[in-house]
Amino acid sequence: MTEQHGTGRLRAGDPRLVVRWARRYAQSRTISFLVQWAVIVVMVLVIGLAANLTSMAHRQDNMGLFYLSIALMCLVMLALAWFSLSRWGGEFIWNVTQWLYGGEGYASFDPGAGRGLPRWLTAAGGGLVVYHLVIAVLVSFGYVSLRNMQPFSALYMAPYLSALILYQGLGFWAWVWPGLYAAHAALLLCGAPIRFPAHFPLLDMIVPVFGYGLVAILLGHAYSRYALWNLKKLTRSIASDVPEGQDDPDTEGGGENG
Amino acid sequence: MAELDRLIHEPARLRILTLLSGLDVADFTFLLNTVGLTKGNLSSHMDKLEKAGYVEVLKSFNGRVPHTDFRITADGARALKEYWDALDTIRSLREAPEADPDRK
Repeated sequence: MTEQHGTGRLRAGDPRLVVRWARRYAQSRTISFLVQWAVIVVMVLVIGLAANLTSMAHRQDNMGLFYLSIALMCLVMLALAWFSLSRWGGEFIWNVTQWLYGGEGYASFDPGAGRGLPRWLTAAGGGLVVYHLVIAVLVSFGYVSLRNMQPFSALYMAPYLSALILYQGLGFWAWVWPGLYAAHAALLLCGAPIRFPAHFPLLDMIVPVFGYGLVAILLGHAYSRYALWNLKKLTRSIASDVPEGQDDPDTEGGGENG
Repeated sequence: MAELDRLIHEPARLRILTLLSGLDVADFTFLLNTVGLTKGNLSSHMDKLEKAGYVEVLKSFNGRVPHTDFRITADGARALKEYWDALDTIRSLREAPEADPDRK
């Protein structure tokens, strides 16, 4: 439902500020993103290991292992796409999210409700997978160094994440991820000493992708606690000086529960 | 003198509607924890709001688990806005009594 009150004009303590804090809370419920993050981390780790294995097999001219690891990469990529797009994936995320939120309940606010993602953005999501698969193959054949994957990835990932954030109307916390990811790529290209040791090349890619995502998600979750605290305080302060049931002959009396 | 909607003027229902006006949907548990009512009291208020057409009940399933969400209706949002506008009018009259010719 669209906002009925211009909360920008309200004074501090006005109970209608409940609207503002309700939206901030709903937009900062990031546990579902955390669940998706965990699933994607596991799958990408497998893809990364398979890419590493492919590279090693190519160097050793072990074609059996080479094609096996290529097949493993493609299989996990398909599994990731299926998880992202299927109804089962959505139900799994919902069930785990509700379990983690415990007795808090569910509330949502989506500024773009009913609009949905544009087709080009949905297609770009598929393009993201293909793009990274191509990079992984180029790494496997030695055309791209594994240690330079992150800047290549940022070329696609940062704009794509930014578009998703805009269209989904996510909170301020979401911008941390593409912001830090792009900054990390820029620092690498400028020669900043932020690379992992040479014998851990995968970490140059994995840590920025998932580390900055985790930072953003945890920041969002922390903010949601603050927003919920403010929301409860404001909501329960509405007409708190008026006894319950005094104006309503049908109500049997109060019943506040803490 | 502006009249206040007595259905909304009840503190618990005012809290519920104001909360729902900021969200797309919210479930019973969230309302219970945020507004701070007992289950029976909240159910009673939600029934009244639904009968008045101010709140819509949305029933769905997540897999096999039934789920009930609540959403403020267009009528509810309009009534809430009118309530707050009326309250603002009353407050402004109280804060500027010399502007009201009836008080001479």
